[in-house]
Amino acid sequence: MDLSEAANRKINGQPSYTIFVLSFLTRYYIQSLLVISVVILAAVNPYFGTVGNLQNILLQASFAGIGAAGMTLLIVSGAFDLSVAGLLGLCGVLISEFLPSLGVVLTVVTALVFGVLLGLLNGLVVTKLRIPAFIATLGMMNIYLALAFIWTQGSRVIAVSDPNFNTLGTGALFGFLPIPFLVMIATYLVCYGVLNRSVYGRCLRAVGSSEIAARTAGLPVDLIRILAFAIVGGCTALAGVFLSAELSSASAIMATGYELTVIAVVVIGGTSLKGGEGTLFGSFAGALFFAVISSALNILNVAAYWQYVVTGVFLISALGVQALRSYILVE
Amino acid sequence: MNHSAESPNFRSIFSLSNATRFVQIAESLGVFALLMIVVIGASIIAPGFFTYTNLTNTLIAASITAVTGLGMTFAIAMGGFDLSVGSVQVLTAIVVADLLSAIDPPLAILGALLTGLAVGLVNGVLISKLRLPAFVVTFGMMSIVRGVALLITQGQSVMITKHVEFGLLNNGKILGLPVPFIIMTMVFLALSVLLKHSPFGRHACAIGGNRAAATVSGINIDRTTIAVFGLVGVTAAISGVMLSSQLMIVDATLGTGFELQAITVSVLGGTSLSGGHGNLVGTVFAALLLATIASALNILKVISFYQYLALGVLLIFALAIDTGRRAFIAKSLAARPG
Repeated sequence: MDLSEAANRKINGQPSYTIFVLSFLTRYYIQSLLVISVVILAAVNPYFGTVGNLQNILLQASFAGIGAAGMTLLIVSGAFDLSVAGLLGLCGVLISEFLPSLGVVLTVVTALVFGVLLGLLNGLVVTKLRIPAFIATLGMMNIYLALAFIWTQGSRVIAVSDPNFNTLGTGALFGFLPIPFLVMIATYLVCYGVLNRSVYGRCLRAVGSSEIAARTAGLPVDLIRILAFAIVGGCTALAGVFLSAELSSASAIMATGYELTVIAVVVIGGTSLKGGEGTLFGSFAGALFFAVISSALNILNVAAYWQYVVTGVFLISALGVQALRSYILVE
Repeated sequence: MNHSAESPNFRSIFSLSNATRFVQIAESLGVFALLMIVVIGASIIAPGFFTYTNLTNTLIAASITAVTGLGMTFAIAMGGFDLSVGSVQVLTAIVVADLLSAIDPPLAILGALLTGLAVGLVNGVLISKLRLPAFVVTFGMMSIVRGVALLITQGQSVMITKHVEFGLLNNGKILGLPVPFIIMTMVFLALSVLLKHSPFGRHACAIGGNRAAATVSGINIDRTTIAVFGLVGVTAAISGVMLSSQLMIVDATLGTGFELQAITVSVLGGTSLSGGHGNLVGTVFAALLLATIASALNILKVISFYQYLALGVLLIFALAIDTGRRAFIAKSLAARPG
């Protein structure tokens, strides 16, 4: 049940402007936050509003955003994947190794298939060995990282210098909209269709709200979760394609901390960690919000290390806001 | 979901505790047997393993992991987790190294321990008072604390130049035993008393076993949660101090993946993720096992990346065993008529 709808019902009969604003803000708080922060930053700093910077924000948002789309579906089903940083690194290394011999299209397809397979493996470990998702995927992350290290004999950076491939990361439509951002929009549209307009999406939400009820109703709970892990694997590999294209290089540690950013994006977007409900629109705005904040920190010359602190604080406070919101509505 | 909740009579709870105790003893023996096999195997295939120097080094490495593993065992027994221990370890290692340039070692160590305690208490307050899931809070905290460590050092290394006697914490010997091992033993004894023979430990296990029942029986869940996470913070800080005295030069990139080691030794040692009981002896054995494997791989000149791989595989293996263990307990509970 949507919380803001509940709030509206609760105060039915006394429609007032402030209540409307409040319920709008609780429902679309991340979108509001995004707009407010962009307006303030553009007013305060002349560089922030330039085309180059905005373009860069869209580009940076798409790396975390594409991964967050899949992660939203997985979190709706009541699970997590902390292995995405290792998975992305491994896919990046695969791209750098295969690109010279396979060509762009085949390499991208191989990377995506590989990501989906690794996601399936995560899903199998979590569901068939019955290990709590976050700790199982923490172990898998170590394994993927180790494999990527072994493949590259260390944290060696491998150049990815196929001009056609690099266009994927650096190209832009109409000279303004970066290709990764367009792909991010497409990813969100597809995931939106899957989550809200498909039988599988209903199954995801059912499994997330109550695993026992879903099992009793005869849903193949394990299969549904495994597929969700595969989707995360695919999305992460997709993000890996664009990240390695943009960086023109790949290494095992190219995505350190990616899992934290992606989960923070999903949570700050308003998807509940309890599972059962999720908002892709929120995750989309969350990804943009994180890119805006990170760009602001850069422009204001704040030490890069603050990024760690800020991400962690945002993750915890977003959880706090969720808890507070449901607490207020219950009261 | 707790099985004693399904048939809440005395006998079923009694047989549950018997089954867990049996599993626990079997686990400790199993890990110990595995440790012996690995030690013997390593002595044969890796010449240079069974030397005094190498054994001492292995023991020191194991002790550093075990101290945090023991704290983690407490958290897992309570049904919680702490993913921030790696960052706390590095932060406290840096704090003690920084403080040593200004004040005496005992005060510097105290400062580091208080830092760890503070982070742990913040974790505990967020988890209990705001009712946030432990692993996400500590996950966020992992990033925050790492960021603070980087900000303090500005990405540089900190070398301990004053009070070099601080190194005795690592290479000193008492009765021929390395000091880190003595520290680990003391932490082990203290936590064993706390876990088995104090209301605090029983409350922690009760919360892990059946949270609703613990609430109903009047246990102050918030206070116990905060105290347990504070305890984990302190053990991580002790590990941090030990690490600092081992390396004498520290930087903010240390300790990545340490949380994984701490969780692995707890679970491998026989503490179930379902909560309710902690196996401290098993944790120590598992830490020794991990350190022995690492040392053997080092001597055999296996590239260090394979050690990551081994750690990940070992964790998944330990967790799979835990799944079997939980199934066994559930089965032996169901087999006895209530």
